[in-house]
Amino acid sequence: MKPILSFLPATIRGMIDKLPGHTAAAVEELRIREARSLEIVAGGESRFVAPDGTLADDPRAGYKPTRDDCLKLIDLLTNHSLYTFEEELRRGYITVAGGHRVGLAGKTVLERGEVKHIRDVASFNIRIARELIGVGRPLLPAIWDEAAGNVHQTLIVSPPRQGKTTLVRDLARLASAGGDTGTAGMRAGLRVGIVDERSEIAACVKGVPTFDVGPRTDVLDGCPKAEGMMMMIRSMSPDVLVVDEIGRPEDAAALQEALHAGVRVVATAHGRGVEDVRERPVMRRLLEERMFSRIVELSRSRRGESRCIVWDASGRKMAELAQERRREPGMVPC
Amino acid sequence: MLKLIGAVLVVLAGTMFGFAKASAYARRPRQIRQLIAAFQRLETEMTYGFTPLGEALLHISGQLEPQLAAMFRRAAEPLNAMTGVTAAESWREAVDACWKQTALSSNEREILSQLSFTLGTSDREDQAKHLRLAVDMLKAEEENARDEQRRYEKMWRSLGVLAGAFVVILMY
Repeated sequence: MKPILSFLPATIRGMIDKLPGHTAAAVEELRIREARSLEIVAGGESRFVAPDGTLADDPRAGYKPTRDDCLKLIDLLTNHSLYTFEEELRRGYITVAGGHRVGLAGKTVLERGEVKHIRDVASFNIRIARELIGVGRPLLPAIWDEAAGNVHQTLIVSPPRQGKTTLVRDLARLASAGGDTGTAGMRAGLRVGIVDERSEIAACVKGVPTFDVGPRTDVLDGCPKAEGMMMMIRSMSPDVLVVDEIGRPEDAAALQEALHAGVRVVATAHGRGVEDVRERPVMRRLLEERMFSRIVELSRSRRGESRCIVWDASGRKMAELAQERRREPGMVPC
Repeated sequence: MLKLIGAVLVVLAGTMFGFAKASAYARRPRQIRQLIAAFQRLETEMTYGFTPLGEALLHISGQLEPQLAAMFRRAAEPLNAMTGVTAAESWREAVDACWKQTALSSNEREILSQLSFTLGTSDREDQAKHLRLAVDMLKAEEENARDEQRRYEKMWRSLGVLAGAFVVILMY
């Protein structure tokens, strides 16, 4: 929670500061909407924050952020330099130092029918990024290709907020670090290239990752995925490429390129399950061409238990893993 | 003898006062010129360099007269330290604090505080527009300041000496 506090205007910061400790440690999202109640999502539950820092279920009891609060918030989030975030404003989210993603909504400004940027930002969704060292460890044996001495072509599928990004980050770290990871046939670390379009995986500040992504990892920060994958293959000769949220036609072309260059790819995609992903034309083509030899379905139950099901390219179930959502000690609370 | 020393002191004081006044008239257009250059650089930093505001202000402060540099540095510090102060607050605070040390008049101050409302809070195009507007207004002020310099700089210089001499004459 701490790193986020410095981005909040004084009024809201005071309220968040007063939250009880266990809630503050479990905060996943902070939603700030102008003239509507301040919402906080912790441990999967949504509550409203009253002006005195107590939590309420009644929306009327919550603090209503003012126009001034929102203006200050956007000023602080953009490091007082909104003009350096034009591309991000066009896409509707910005990533701040620490890898926390802030979704934005408000009045959009169009130019020739395309969204140019968001003016009058009235809704903020601050998603708190967590670094969970070791979450990928149980999964690694299931996606490890012993014959190739590398990971399989892996696609991780899950709905938003289930910990996809946290998982790929840890997989990148494990593959890059090598050594004793409890996976047979894995010794030396691999060269890992991360194409981090949204700056969420590595949370780079001025090009240097702030999350631990392993000692043999190169990060291309803020780069479009398709172009970034090609650049990485040409320039950094990685063994594994890690990308977040693929799904555009040009991503497929880049994936094919990577495959032919002998580079393994660990990618993520939004979707409830494999069937869901198959509905999307680009992804369907990729799956039909058996681009991915392992598909991991990630889900989280209401109680916060996370579950991984691993399939191979022909739809055979390879493994099923369940683990309690770890709170301590692996979790680094924000 | 004592009277003579007194007379010399009075003339000296008058002269100094006159010169101080005259130099303020000379300093004002120069500082406005510098502000114009600073804002033009800020525009470049914003539109081409994508430099964050705090860093840009700090860069620019390196090329300014000490009084103006202090103002820019003071505005930049809270921004770079992430203290939770907005750009507008920080800029206004710096202008208020460092105002007295500069030779700028209340007109320029008004232009600077107008700028505070938009600084860093809009896209590049808009930032550039506002900076250009400030530059245009400062250019008009510069014209004014040069005019005043021509008219009053010499006058104050001689007026100081003459006033000193006048008091001495009255004394004797």
